[in-house]
Amino acid sequence: MDHTEILGSVELFESVTPAELQAISLISKEVIFNNGDVITRQGEPGEYLYIVLDGFVEVLHSGTTPEQSPRTIIHLGKGQIFGEMALVDHGTRSATVRAASDQTKVLMIHCDDFEQECEENHHLGYVVMRNIAADLSFKLRHRHFADR
Amino acid sequence: MPAIYKVSYVVSGEDHPGAIQNSDAAPHQGDTISLGSHDFEVIEVIDLVPPRGDFHYLHATLVRAPGKD
Repeated sequence: MDHTEILGSVELFESVTPAELQAISLISKEVIFNNGDVITRQGEPGEYLYIVLDGFVEVLHSGTTPEQSPRTIIHLGKGQIFGEMALVDHGTRSATVRAASDQTKVLMIHCDDFEQECEENHHLGYVVMRNIAADLSFKLRHRHFADR
Repeated sequence: MPAIYKVSYVVSGEDHPGAIQNSDAAPHQGDTISLGSHDFEVIEVIDLVPPRGDFHYLHATLVRAPGKD
C-alpha cells in the first residue's frame, strides 16, 4: 500500500521531499489494533517506530518497583509518533503502549530500515532527526502543562 | 497542503492524562472535543511554539463537558 500522501501530513516528515516520502512508504507497514491490544511493552527491545494514522493509543509507565501499578501518562492520536526513543538511543522501551480504541490504525517502520535510509540520504536523516527532536520537545511542553 | 494543527490537550480538574493529536482545524474556546470515549469542552487555547511549514502548535485546556458521560 502506498502511504506517501498520508506520510506527508505527519510532522515527522515535515520538509521531506516526495521522493524521500516514497522511499519511507516502501519500508512502512500498516497494522490495525483493537482496544486494549498491547503494541509495545516497557523494558522490551525497541525495533520499530510507530505512527498513529487513526484512533488513539494509550502510553503507560510502570514504576521501578513491582508494587507500583502502571499509570497512563498520555493518549496519542492521529499523526503522533511513538517508539522514537529507541530509534535515537537504541534503548529498551520506556513505556508500554496499547490501543485505546478499536480499529486503531498504526504505521510501523523497522528502525534498521529507517536508519539505513537516513544513512544513505543525509538530508532525510537531518530532517527526520530534527523533527524527532521537535516532537520530543512538544511532548515535554505538554508534560509541563499537565503538571501545572 | 492545508494547515495541520498539532494540539496538546490537558484536562483540568480531574485525573486524566491528556492527549496529543493532529487536527485539520484549530480548537477554539467553547468547542467540544472527544478524547477516546469522553467529551470535553475547550476553555483555553494558546500558541505553544511558532508554526513550522504547514504545522501549527497549540495547547488547549479542557474540562469535562457538562451533561456528558
